[in-house]
Amino acid sequence: MRYRVKFQKYGVMKFVGHLDIMRYFQKAFRRAALPIRYSEGFNPHQIMSFAAPLGVGITSDGEYMDVDMKEEVLSEDTLQKLDSVMVDGMKILEFRALNDSAKKAMTAVRAASYLLYYKEDIFLSKEDLQSKLAAFYGRPEILIIKMTKKSERELDLKPLIFSFEVVELPEVLREESAYSFGLKLCVSTGSTDNIKPELVMEHFHKSAGLEDVSFGIHRVDLYTFDDNEELISLGDVGYDVQ
Amino acid sequence: MKKLALSDDILMQVEKPARYIGNEVNIVKKDPSQVDIRVAMCFPDVYEIGMSHLGIQILYEKFNRREDVYCERVYSPWPDLSKIMKDQKIPLFALETQDPIKDFDFLGITLQYEMCYTNILQVLDLSQIPLLSKDRTDDDPIVMGGGPCTYNPEPIADFFDFFFIGEGEMSYEELYDLYKEMKLSGSYSRETFLRTVCKIPGIYVPSLYDVTYKEDGTILDFKPKYDDVPSKVRRVVLTNMDEGEYPMKPIVPFVKATQDRVVLEIQRGCIRGCRFCQAGMVYRPNREKSVELLKKYAKEMLKNTGHEEITLSSLSSSDYSELENLVNFLIDDCADEGLNISLPSLRIDAFSLDVMAKVQDIRKSSLTFAPEAGSQRMRNVINKGLTVDDILNGATMAFKGGWQKVKLYFMLGLPTETDEDMMAIPQLANEVAAAYYETVPKEQRLGKCQITMSTSFFVPKPFTPFQWAEMYEPGEYLRRAKVVNDTMKAQLNHKSLRYQWHQADVTVLEGVFARGDRKVSSAILYAYEHGALFDAWTDFFDLDLWKEAFEQCGISVPFYAYRKRELDEILPWDFIDVGVTKEFFIREWNNAMKESVTPNCKARCSGCGCKSYGGGICHAV
Ligand code: B12
Ligand code: SF4
Ligand code: SF4
Repeated sequence: MRYRVKFQKYGVMKFVGHLDIMRYFQKAFRRAALPIRYSEGFNPHQIMSFAAPLGVGITSDGEYMDVDMKEEVLSEDTLQKLDSVMVDGMKILEFRALNDSAKKAMTAVRAASYLLYYKEDIFLSKEDLQSKLAAFYGRPEILIIKMTKKSERELDLKPLIFSFEVVELPEVLREESAYSFGLKLCVSTGSTDNIKPELVMEHFHKSAGLEDVSFGIHRVDLYTFDDNEELISLGDVGYDVQ
Repeated sequence: MKKLALSDDILMQVEKPARYIGNEVNIVKKDPSQVDIRVAMCFPDVYEIGMSHLGIQILYEKFNRREDVYCERVYSPWPDLSKIMKDQKIPLFALETQDPIKDFDFLGITLQYEMCYTNILQVLDLSQIPLLSKDRTDDDPIVMGGGPCTYNPEPIADFFDFFFIGEGEMSYEELYDLYKEMKLSGSYSRETFLRTVCKIPGIYVPSLYDVTYKEDGTILDFKPKYDDVPSKVRRVVLTNMDEGEYPMKPIVPFVKATQDRVVLEIQRGCIRGCRFCQAGMVYRPNREKSVELLKKYAKEMLKNTGHEEITLSSLSSSDYSELENLVNFLIDDCADEGLNISLPSLRIDAFSLDVMAKVQDIRKSSLTFAPEAGSQRMRNVINKGLTVDDILNGATMAFKGGWQKVKLYFMLGLPTETDEDMMAIPQLANEVAAAYYETVPKEQRLGKCQITMSTSFFVPKPFTPFQWAEMYEPGEYLRRAKVVNDTMKAQLNHKSLRYQWHQADVTVLEGVFARGDRKVSSAILYAYEHGALFDAWTDFFDLDLWKEAFEQCGISVPFYAYRKRELDEILPWDFIDVGVTKEFFIREWNNAMKESVTPNCKARCSGCGCKSYGGGICHAV
């Protein structure tokens, strides 16, 4: 039985990198004594795969991993058990079963949304930010040079940015932010056209004449396309086992 | 949520920021305003090494059991962060609360390895605590040291307020009670506290002793400054290991530690008495934990940590009397899928081969023997009971079972070693290889066998029968390695043999620190102030800097490291009573010269003196 686990990563946990988070969860499943399935072979390991690795320094409300359980488990009960062995900053939000046909989280993920906030006063009003954003995102195409290890190629960011707007920040992020408002960005994510929020911000800041401003990043959620090519939360693919 | 001591910007710049955030699984959380005593326990090396140390996990648990104490942890910041903290004057902090160490009551530092000495100064420096004990005020924490290197604390004596000699499970109640009482009654001053604390068993306050030297540099006299200060400090020992209250919920780091597994300490002390081995002497007497207790611990610790691996810890696990029982329990009753059982190097026999075949991939794993010397003569000198037959029989059995990799560990530069003894090392390896080709028919072989010899250079250590021995210069050590290498190359099976030897330079430093006196501290200070740090790491070790430090501070390397001591010389560590008597060491030194073997503690008691502790093997009939 496959399940999709959704979790939050907050506070100091943002400094724990992806590989260490994987090890953390392997041990967490053992502490919670959940019947997770192991691979065959001389060094069995838990069958667990993550949707989209989160960069160090980024907090999140929408992290996902798929796990294989040996037997059917109840969503609420399992969620509680796993949540009870978490450290501060890690919280389990969903534990949902997947249909056999459901794609793996890693292949399913198509978009990610982020909240971006300024850590220091950069002498901007909300209106300033809005007009700078309009000037950037309002362009018909946003051409950039994308450097990869082997080559550089021209890329149009515009169709890969699904939305980009100025928003009021939720309470939790206000402590870290110099303003009550920030930016919300939804970008293409996954195995093809994986766009990092830092890249978009870099070009936005360049166009807005904001060099060297330090900003915080918070991931809101990860999405996939439903049958109608609409973005839906990765977790909504699964269903609760009652 | 908790604020970190370091800004996001700094943490994003440094390697592995998760080393510095605390918040790990199973940490102890307390409200600092509700305790009377704040303690920071430090392992002066990088986080991943420090988090692998069992001793601190034990003391963390013990100290925190007291409601009035909050014990936290701190490790050496890696050089990248160290530089930033120093430049920006950010005080070093404890992981749990992220509060500056300088506001704590105690800073406890474990001394596991001599090459960590400059890291001690780094920790003090970044904490903004004066490096020298004499410069500290009543507002600074009390800096205490413990662990294996306290058996000669003199080279670092000036940096510590006191050392705790022996097992940390003992005496700490008295220590904290005294401190608390003095603080509450307002009678506390650093000076009065240290004057009183020196009477607690195991505690050595260096500033309360005067050392005078002879013209030739050796010690003339070492004595307390006041009548009420004990002239000898006796090592304290936990006699009943089952009363040790082992930490059932060890901390599980986010960053992968060197020992990323449950560590089950099965016994303390070793019955063997190899004459070069300090651990074999200073952890005497051998004390086993009861197997039923260990079984319970294993289950509970696996559950509380979620570790996928468990290992046994002791100096010589094969000598644990209930080993079969315990290992079978781990395999049969603990091992769910996904659990690895990693066995420390066991004596190779039918049982251990059988167990290893169950828990590891034979093709990939290698067998380990530590004969420490190549010839039987030399092994008699060092009192290593392993014979050629033991090795060849063990290896033959293993080859039959499918193994084809063997590792052999040796030491070069042992007392009385001759060229024949050196040549015996590759000869032994050659015989092991020959045994493979005799045992395994051609059609069953998967290529050649791989016999790896590894040699380290002998460093005479305090409180061993070899504490008086001479040590060789790097050039001579390398010559010896060359003898081994040349002999190997001329042998029949040389294509199946490999040889690795250690760097000789670090060994020299170890030699100076191991048997140094108080004067050596100035060189450590000099080296630190000129950039030495993480000396245990080859990438950072700077020999030239150390040479300069010794020269500038008038520390003669031949005097401290190479010189043979006379039996009647006052040694810098003579004021410590480790339980093993000097008469025993002298007797053992003489036995070594006679190439005569002393039986292990299980076979017969040799009257080393540790019976006086009233527990362990000495009192088992
Ligand atoms: C686990 C281990 C490691 C681990 C973890 C690091 C560590 N030192 O623990 C790893 C694998 C990383 C490691 C690496 C190395 N190790 Co190592 N390691 C050990 C081992 C097996 C166990 C240590 C332990 O947990 N002991 C059990 C605890 C309970 O005992 P304890 O440490 O003595 O602590 C007790 C008391 O001493 C006291 N105490 C200790 N500290 C303090 C501090 C205060 C303030 C107080 C009050 C009390 C106190 O209370 C404790 C409880 O009773 C020992 C051998 C052994 N069995 O002891 C070697 C040992 C410590 N290692 C040794 C060596 C040589 C090394 C390496 C140099 C190997 C190498 N070539 O790379 C490196 C050096 C790394 C380093 N910076 O120290 C030597 C040190 C010899 C020496 N002093 O020169 C030892 C003694 C092995 C030996 N027989 O030679 N090691
Ligand atoms: S077997 Fe020998 S070398 Fe090993 S710990 Fe015991 S005394 Fe030391
Ligand atoms: S007193 Fe005897 S049995 Fe006890 S440790 Fe010494 S030699 Fe071994």
